[in-house]
Amino acid sequence: MRRLVVALVLLATASGARALEIRSCHVRLDVAEGGSARGTVSLHLAAVEPGRIAIPLGFADVQGLRLASAMPAGTTLTSVSGNGQTIVLVDLPQGVAPETTLSLAFEVRQAFVVTKLAAGEKSTLPEGSRLLRHALVNSQPATIGSYRAEVLFPDGMRAHAIREALPKLGKKESEPRVRLTAIEGRNGARLQVARLLQGDSASMQLELVPRKRSPGWLIAGLILSVLYLVHFRDLIAKKG
Amino acid sequence: MTATTALPTSDDRLQQLLDMEKMTLSSAGRAAQGRAEQWMRYLGFPGGIAVFLFFYYFSFDGGLSGAAQAGLACFLLALVWWITEPFPTYVTSLVLMFLLLVTRTAGSKAIMDVLGMEVIWLNLLAFILSSMLVKTRLAKRMALTLVLRFGHKAGWALLAFLIIQMVLAPLIPATAARCVMTLPLMLVVAAIYGSTEESPNAFGRNLMLLNLVGISVLSSMTMTGSSANLIAVGLIQSMGGHRIYYMDWARLGAPIAILTTLAMWFLGRKWIFPISAEEQIPRLPGGLDVVRRKREEMGPFTLGEKKAVVIFALVLLLWMTDVFHLRWFGVEISAPFAALLGAVIVLFPRWGVLQWSEADIPWHLLIFSAGAYAGGLALDDTGAAEWAVRKLFDRLALDQLPFGIVFTLIVAVMMYSHLLTTSKTVRTMILIPIIITLSKALGWDPVSLALPAALCIDWVVGLPISGKPNVILFSTNQYSVVDNLKYGLITCTIGVVLLVISAATWFHWLGITPSFWAVAR
Repeated sequence: MRRLVVALVLLATASGARALEIRSCHVRLDVAEGGSARGTVSLHLAAVEPGRIAIPLGFADVQGLRLASAMPAGTTLTSVSGNGQTIVLVDLPQGVAPETTLSLAFEVRQAFVVTKLAAGEKSTLPEGSRLLRHALVNSQPATIGSYRAEVLFPDGMRAHAIREALPKLGKKESEPRVRLTAIEGRNGARLQVARLLQGDSASMQLELVPRKRSPGWLIAGLILSVLYLVHFRDLIAKKG
Repeated sequence: MTATTALPTSDDRLQQLLDMEKMTLSSAGRAAQGRAEQWMRYLGFPGGIAVFLFFYYFSFDGGLSGAAQAGLACFLLALVWWITEPFPTYVTSLVLMFLLLVTRTAGSKAIMDVLGMEVIWLNLLAFILSSMLVKTRLAKRMALTLVLRFGHKAGWALLAFLIIQMVLAPLIPATAARCVMTLPLMLVVAAIYGSTEESPNAFGRNLMLLNLVGISVLSSMTMTGSSANLIAVGLIQSMGGHRIYYMDWARLGAPIAILTTLAMWFLGRKWIFPISAEEQIPRLPGGLDVVRRKREEMGPFTLGEKKAVVIFALVLLLWMTDVFHLRWFGVEISAPFAALLGAVIVLFPRWGVLQWSEADIPWHLLIFSAGAYAGGLALDDTGAAEWAVRKLFDRLALDQLPFGIVFTLIVAVMMYSHLLTTSKTVRTMILIPIIITLSKALGWDPVSLALPAALCIDWVVGLPISGKPNVILFSTNQYSVVDNLKYGLITCTIGVVLLVISAATWFHWLGITPSFWAVAR
């Protein structure tokens, strides 16, 4: 039923959004230790007309949605969810500039993937590891010219591995789809796609681990080295 | 190879050297030679651990994932152990595979699957074909003929091998195949010049390492010399927008490769591993007359030898005609499958020439290769290799530098980066796109940097882990890892120097590179 509602909403917005151009869409998510996160999305729009536009966000469980840039009075926001992502419906009043930057702020209740284990089922992640996933489906008619999603990891955490980075790189692309990078002095990851047509998707999944490594390898390495140096002294003994 | 005891007469000695069917590729480690090597082995173990701990715990910037950092630490530990040899190379490979798992760099399936890779199969099957050459005594006949014709002096014998590799390179893209084909000849000729596993000499070192250089470097003569060359050509076309034709590549690559191998033929025996006067001639009392007599005693070709010739010719034909397979058979028979067909015929009851128990398959070598490939793939899959390359180019700050300096740095990075990778394909896939992107960003034609860089792809001669022929030739125990490194680095440096001189002269005259001191925009 929910899918049907989303489909109807998108259909209703389709006529108003036909000429709309989304030149770029930049999302940033700042994740706190427990998994709650603060996010912003900034869209550079062209050929904007009064009416309703739909903005897919790529996060489920979004709350506290609000405008973060100056827009004409009467601009309203509504959110609906479907297919694991939130879609923001923006109603633009008369007088909206044809080319504008629309910024929204929001909170995500839980950015980490929460897996409910069945009785007797073992976790595939070691203690202290967390999975962070962002997946966007361009579920509105306009092509997104450039899509970039940045995730700032909680303090004290780093990425152990990039487990998913989609879409696959094209023949002419040389930059990795997902790049781990320092953002404003914090560890983070950046997903970048040049062009997302209607129905295209982009996603990344990261395994986060505590930044501080266990001293186990240090202790084992020192013990082994000392044992070797003692027990293999004969290797350097002078012959005869 | 391990042979039995020393002998009284020249005939007996030669007979023992040529009794290759009684020899096996030894898994015994090479004894340390000299005090320096003893200390290197002793300190190599804690040294490797120290390198591991540094790279594992050091706080790099946010661009490196935990798995990539752990993979880098594991690979560098193995690299130190492979070079210093505190224990046999295959044990290091097994340690590396275990470390990759427990540091969560790679999953168990990815690590174990390495043993099923095409390259491991090709090595295995090529050893069966090599055993066929030995068992049927075809290798012995060919080696005796080669020595009789060119073996009056060590220099000519070495040159003969270089010419053989030069002829084979454009015909057979699989370097392991070329290596295994010629390995039995190398072993016999080395033995005739007094170089065996027990007492390797300068001739043996020169012979093995010159063949290694010949097999690898001469692959860069043509764009079909290896599949990695073709990948580079594809990347230059798709990302750089320039089509590279066969002759575009050959006219640049062939002169550089041939000049370098000739330089190594000369420098190797005169300067790197000087061949003493007594090693210049066959080390057999009676000299070449004994060799001639042995050759005559072999008589005409036996049925086994004839079968071996036919089987080898069939495999060779399939290796040489791979571009036509799709048209002829509707399917491409890759190099390992061509060797597999050869192995089937070789081992076929009654019609074949070998039984399974007679095939000398050095499993320790395949385990060594598997470990090296697992480590190399982990560096690629986790992004560690790409991170390291980008970091390096960022540090070099190439903008505003004259073209010649940029060219020199890029070619040097491409050339020496093989020391930290185990696969030409992976190295190509990482470096060539970055070089193309970099050239565009700096304002140079991508071909001017990417094509010369691509000519370095096959120069994987620095370490025993750097390529398939390296692993195979290292198993002969005729040279140490340090010998390999020394010879390989000199080869690569000559290559870089020749490429830089070429960029300043005839590459520019051909319109490939801009003026050497030009500054972009």
